[in-house]
Amino acid sequence: MSNDPGARRLRILHQLVDSVESPVKTKRLCEVSAEVIGMSGAGIMLMSEDVPHGAVCSTDATSALIEDLQFSLGEGPCVDAFHQDRPVTEPDLANPRTPRWPAFAGPIVDAGARAIFAFPLQVGAVRLGVLDFYRTEPGELTHDQHADALVSAGIVAQALLVMQARAPEGTLSVDLEASADFKYVVHQAAGMVAAQLDVSVGQALVRLRAYSFGNERSLNDVAQDVVARKLRFGS
Amino acid sequence: MELADSLVADFDVVDLLTLLADRCVEVLGVDAAGLMLAAPEGGLRVMASSSDAMRVLELFEIQAEEGPCLDCYATGEPVLNQGLEGTDSRWPIFAPVALKAGFHVAHALPMRLRGVTIGAINLFTNSPGELSSADLAIAQAFADVATIAILQHRAASEAQVLTEQLTHALNSRIVIEQAKGMVAERENLSMEQAFARLRRHSRNHNLRLADVARDVIAGVIPAASLDQVTPAKKRR
Repeated sequence: MSNDPGARRLRILHQLVDSVESPVKTKRLCEVSAEVIGMSGAGIMLMSEDVPHGAVCSTDATSALIEDLQFSLGEGPCVDAFHQDRPVTEPDLANPRTPRWPAFAGPIVDAGARAIFAFPLQVGAVRLGVLDFYRTEPGELTHDQHADALVSAGIVAQALLVMQARAPEGTLSVDLEASADFKYVVHQAAGMVAAQLDVSVGQALVRLRAYSFGNERSLNDVAQDVVARKLRFGS
Repeated sequence: MELADSLVADFDVVDLLTLLADRCVEVLGVDAAGLMLAAPEGGLRVMASSSDAMRVLELFEIQAEEGPCLDCYATGEPVLNQGLEGTDSRWPIFAPVALKAGFHVAHALPMRLRGVTIGAINLFTNSPGELSSADLAIAQAFADVATIAILQHRAASEAQVLTEQLTHALNSRIVIEQAKGMVAERENLSMEQAFARLRRHSRNHNLRLADVARDVIAGVIPAASLDQVTPAKKRR
């Protein structure tokens, strides 16, 4: 098997071509990426300025939880990979070399993830998010898997841009929205809490995060309660 | 555009485009497929074909300067279910040659990137009959994969612009949701009612919805001062 990036790219694109039986949906991109690297699952997080905006897709319940927690907590491998502009890997989540992500690590180990690998979605110098992989077995990536993951992340990034290129100016592509979970309810709740506390929406989001963490509830659930007017902040 | 030139030098990508043409035939049940890309000197260049007959026909299409792929490339719109029989064909020079090669129905789908058509996929069938909408969706997916494969040959500035648009679109969406929440809370409305009020205000004042939302979030437009009705002069 050839090791040069062009050959890798071609092989992974071939796999994508072979899987085309319906329109190339974002979910298929996740699935093919996970298959190529031999991972248990994968998810795509859209990001800008170190902030996770929500998952474009995920392959299964555990990868959905991984994206969900990173969005809720604002911590995790996708945040680090985007911020540091390089892959971030943790081959043994239960016994990490460097303990990190205190709120994130526990729940995802409970959900069955033992290793996690995050690769920035990059086209040239432009970054638009992160491709997260998880595996139910601990262990490092081989050099081959690492190289394939880098190439996959490039293909995913380009595929997302091709989808967005079809959208009318100023709107988000319907293909990107199809399997996405952008948690709009959280932003609605942030708007409400900002009015309740008379603070900025940014501060309101911090308060919502703190509340959800302190009460061990997902940010999404807390936001649902705020929007349903079951929960109020302030007097 | 030097796209076709740089791809000719890159045999791997041409190989992939040929595979794509083969997959079109296999999955869509068409009899031949070909891929053309914009050439630096203008016009189109044949990049990949599922058969030699197809390649010859596509080359003829370019020489004759008429045919489904050229129409599709010129307009950026799909050319669908075009019968080649009869004297009223839209391609008087091309159609007889295609018929002689055994093809009866032609389709072409654009390969588009940010409003620019970079090429087209040609599909031909031997027997009369239309492509279903499901088949069309798959064919468009093939066109997308081809575009993805080709994208790495384009300037990084393209990716920069697209990424900015993507981020901007998502941020606009987020700020509208935040403003909905703020208006709902301040005016004691449901999310739908709050959204209706934001939209009405943006229409009445000819402002973009996301800009109104930003102003509401920043307190520049207090929630209470959003238009609650459409001015009489604007009613039909």
